Amino acid sequence: MKGRNTYYFRESISILLRTKWVGPYLLVPPMLAFMVYAESYLSAHGVTGIFNLEQRTILAIWNGSLLLALIAGIKSCMFLSGIWESGWFRNSLALPVKRSSGFWGPYLAVLSVVTGVFVLTIGAVAAAIPDPGRFPLLKVVVESYIPVLWAVSIGAFLGVLTKGTAGSIFFSALLLLGFLTGLPVARLPEWLYTVIPPVGRLMTLGLNYPEGLTFTMTLIIHSAVVLLLGRILYGIGAKRK
Amino acid sequence: MPPYISIGGYSDPPRIPCLSLETGSGELVALVGGPGSGKSNLIKSIAGIRSASRGSIRIMGAKPGSMRSREEALFVFQNSNFIPDLSVISQIERRISLYRGVPVRNVHKDVTGWCEEMELIEAARMLPKQMNRSQLQMLSLAPLALTSHSVAILDEPLVNLSPLMTSSALSIVFSLLDNRASVLALVQSKSPLAKKADRTVNIQ
Repeated sequence: MKGRNTYYFRESISILLRTKWVGPYLLVPPMLAFMVYAESYLSAHGVTGIFNLEQRTILAIWNGSLLLALIAGIKSCMFLSGIWESGWFRNSLALPVKRSSGFWGPYLAVLSVVTGVFVLTIGAVAAAIPDPGRFPLLKVVVESYIPVLWAVSIGAFLGVLTKGTAGSIFFSALLLLGFLTGLPVARLPEWLYTVIPPVGRLMTLGLNYPEGLTFTMTLIIHSAVVLLLGRILYGIGAKRK
Repeated sequence: MPPYISIGGYSDPPRIPCLSLETGSGELVALVGGPGSGKSNLIKSIAGIRSASRGSIRIMGAKPGSMRSREEALFVFQNSNFIPDLSVISQIERRISLYRGVPVRNVHKDVTGWCEEMELIEAARMLPKQMNRSQLQMLSLAPLALTSHSVAILDEPLVNLSPLMTSSALSIVFSLLDNRASVLALVQSKSPLAKKADRTVNIQ
């Protein structure tokens, strides 16, 4: 039957395109512009050292990615938990649609919108580079997308597990911990990096080999595991209702 | 041919101690109970979105919640039939297209026509929170009028309707029965459906 797999995806996209949900993403371009301006100001005044064009571009891309990851994680927690605990969603399970699509549809809808914003944001930064051939732009872009993917995935997991506000606070704390792992002063036991997402490490060491690959894979595996856990919890919740 | 709806030894203590019934083709059965008597829990159990504490339920021989039972039966709940953030007409169109298995553009004309006939076209273009209960209740019956199902299970379908809308809603239900569908209506004793039913089962 037509639309059986895509019903929740379509409905979620329709909801997400409303101002209430798209609005916060509009904060990314001005905030990114402010951060780039502040960094160049601090650099020009000798506070942070002199950045060359390559370093400034990479920093701008990562700033965009981390800002977007923060907003995407919080919004996906709020949106997905709101959907899954709503009366209409529960009643819609009586429609002839695949029930597993009730998990994947809203998740993919959030990921699609966030990816669209990511492409626009990073595309604008990349378009401003005079000579993109001088450094591995594609590699930086791919690596900076992984935290966004992770944010939406953990947002889905927390959205099933708890209420939106509680999930958002937990997500923000975890993302902050993830940032801190990238600081040179951060000294944590290696096993802890299996729990804490290595977002900061990916940012600071991402272009090195093999560290970049290792952290990229760790973050992808982290995303896949939390997503799988979210799917399992969704299945249990749907059966127990 | 199995019964259209079969409920055997269903219980939801302390509200429903034991309930058994079967419905057949072209039959309207009213399950009558007061507020808080367990009707809404029962429809959720029949829809397979809440596990029945005891007893067995089958729709056209299929288990509740199975894809076959959801294809055969149409459920109208008392509340929360629509997404609060989207216009009602777009939601009706998507549901009708889902039931008919055709693209949304193919059902647009039918849905608009039906809403116009019910004099609800302006309301249908609004969000659910911008409408009154009566309009919302009537529009939740749109899938009943615009699709064909073997079984329809309705929770208090007339409770908020004006007299004119009640008459339209009854016509929709009777046209289903004319098409040999089986209708189970979960209603209070004052409901016109309880009076017009082929059979009435009291649960309280």
